[in-house]
Amino acid sequence: MSEISRPVPVVTEENRPFWEGLAEGRLLLQRCSGCGHPRYPIALVCPRCLSKEHGWEAMSGRGTVFSSVVFHQVYHPAFADRVPYNVAMVELDEGPLIMTNVVGTDQVTVGMPVQVIFTAIEGAVIHQFVPRDPE
Amino acid sequence: MTDIAIVGVGATPQGKLPGSTSLSLAVDAFIDALADSGLAKDDIDGLLTFPGTTAPEQGLNYLRLGEELGMNPLLTGSLSMGGASAGSLVQMAAAAIQAGLATTVACVFGDAARTGGSRFGRASGWGDSWGIWGMFGAAANSALVASRHMALYGTTGEQLAEVAVACRYHASLNPAAVMRTPITVADHQASRWIVEPLRLLDCCLISDGGVCVIVTSMDRARDLRQPPVRIAGMGQAHTNQTLGSKDWLAVPHQRTAVHDAYRTAGVGPGDIDVAQLYDNFTISVLLWLEHAGFCAPGEGGSFVEGGRIRLGGELPVNTAGGNLSESYMEGWLHIVEGVRQIRGQAGVRQVPDAEVCLVTGRGMSLNCANAMILTGA
Ligand SMILES: [Zn+2]
Repeated sequence: MSEISRPVPVVTEENRPFWEGLAEGRLLLQRCSGCGHPRYPIALVCPRCLSKEHGWEAMSGRGTVFSSVVFHQVYHPAFADRVPYNVAMVELDEGPLIMTNVVGTDQVTVGMPVQVIFTAIEGAVIHQFVPRDPE
Repeated sequence: MTDIAIVGVGATPQGKLPGSTSLSLAVDAFIDALADSGLAKDDIDGLLTFPGTTAPEQGLNYLRLGEELGMNPLLTGSLSMGGASAGSLVQMAAAAIQAGLATTVACVFGDAARTGGSRFGRASGWGDSWGIWGMFGAAANSALVASRHMALYGTTGEQLAEVAVACRYHASLNPAAVMRTPITVADHQASRWIVEPLRLLDCCLISDGGVCVIVTSMDRARDLRQPPVRIAGMGQAHTNQTLGSKDWLAVPHQRTAVHDAYRTAGVGPGDIDVAQLYDNFTISVLLWLEHAGFCAPGEGGSFVEGGRIRLGGELPVNTAGGNLSESYMEGWLHIVEGVRQIRGQAGVRQVPDAEVCLVTGRGMSLNCANAMILTGA
C-alpha cells in the first residue's frame, strides 16, 4: 500500500512557522502578544482577545494524554497496514490541546505523561508523542 | 411556554431505497406530512430544509425543493447542521411564526445517504487536516468522548451496550425500523471495534429516507386533523470550537440547550415521561441523560443499566429505535416519534399516559445541540 500516500500537511502562510518548526525539531505554537494566551488550532486572531499580534514560541513538548482512541476501521487506504493505531488528544503543559498519535506503546491511558517526538513522513515532519516518566 | 404546535409529521420508507434521491425523498416526506396534517399545499407559507449529504445543490436546497413543490413561501432557507438541523429548523419555524413572518412552516429533509454512497469517513478537522494523524470518520470524535468518560467515571462497554440493546428492542416493535432483530449485551461485546472504545453496535446506521415536520400556531392547530402537539419549550446552544476548548469532549452546551427548553416549558427532568435523545453513537445518550439532569455527571453508565431506558422502564428513551436502529435520519425521526408519543399514536411502543416528551438533537460532531419539550395542547 506504500504507493498510496497518506494525508500530508497543507502549508500556508498562516501555518508555515508551525511546520517549519517541526522540521527543525521544535514544537512552535502561537502565543498572543495582546493577552499572552497560547493557542492551538493555528488562527489569524486570538480567540480570547482578537489581537492579531502573536509570536511563535517553542513548547516544552511535555504533556498528558487528554483522550485516546484506537482505530481498527480503515478509512483511508494509506492506513490499511497501520491498523490498529492510536490517535490521541494531548494537553500540553503550556495548556493547548493538540491532535496527535501516541506511539511506542500499545498501553495509552488518559492522564499518561507524554513527550513530543518529531516523525518524518513522506514529504513532511509531524509531531507524535511517546510515554515519558513523570517528574 | 410557546403557542406553537407541530401539526403534521411525515416520513418515507427507510433504509436502502435504490432509485431514490434526496429530492424524491424530501418530496415524498412533504406529501406524507401534508396528508397527516390535513393541510393543503397552499396553506404552507414557510419552507425550511436540511440538504443532507447527497443533495447536489446543498445550500440552495430550499430553492430546488421549493421549485419542485411549486412553492412561493414567505419564509425559506436551508441550514446545514447535521444532526442538529431538525431541531434547529423546527425552532426557527416556531420563532418565525411567533414573530409573524409566516403562519405554517414545513421543515423538510431528504437524503439518499445509503444508496448515494455518502462518505461519513472523511478526515476530521478543517481542510481534512487531522487525517495527517489518521483521524477519520464520524465515530472518532465520539470515541474520544467515550474514552475520556470511561477514564474519568469508570463507564464500561457493557453500559454502552445497554443503549444499543434498548434502541434495538424498541426498533423490533417498530414496523418502519431498518434493524429489527433484537440484540443482547453479548452481541454488542462481540461486534468488531470501529474506533476503540466504540464497536460496530455503538454506531448509528446510514440510511436513505425523508422526513417532514409541519409547524403552525396553536390557534390554527386546534382546527386541524391531528391532536396538536405543543412545542412547550425549546433551547439550543453550540460551540464553534474543537481543540480550542477544554470542554469540547464534555459537550456542556447540551446542558444549556436542555435547561433552556425546561425553563421555557416550565418543567424539569422529573416531569419527563419519555425522551428521544440524539444517538449518533451510544455514548451520546449517556451524556444527554447526564446533561438533562436524569442523573449526576458521570453516572449515565449506571443509569442505563437494568432496563431503565427501555419501554416499561423508568425513562423510556428512543422508543422508535433511534439513529442506532430505526434509521439514520439525523434526528428527524426523533421529533416524529416524540409527536406520535404525545398524540398517543405509537401503537405497541406507546408509553402509557405520555404527556411530556424531551427531544434532543446534536450535529456537526459534538458542536451543535438543541432540545424541545413536546406536550399536549
Ligand atoms: Zn489574546
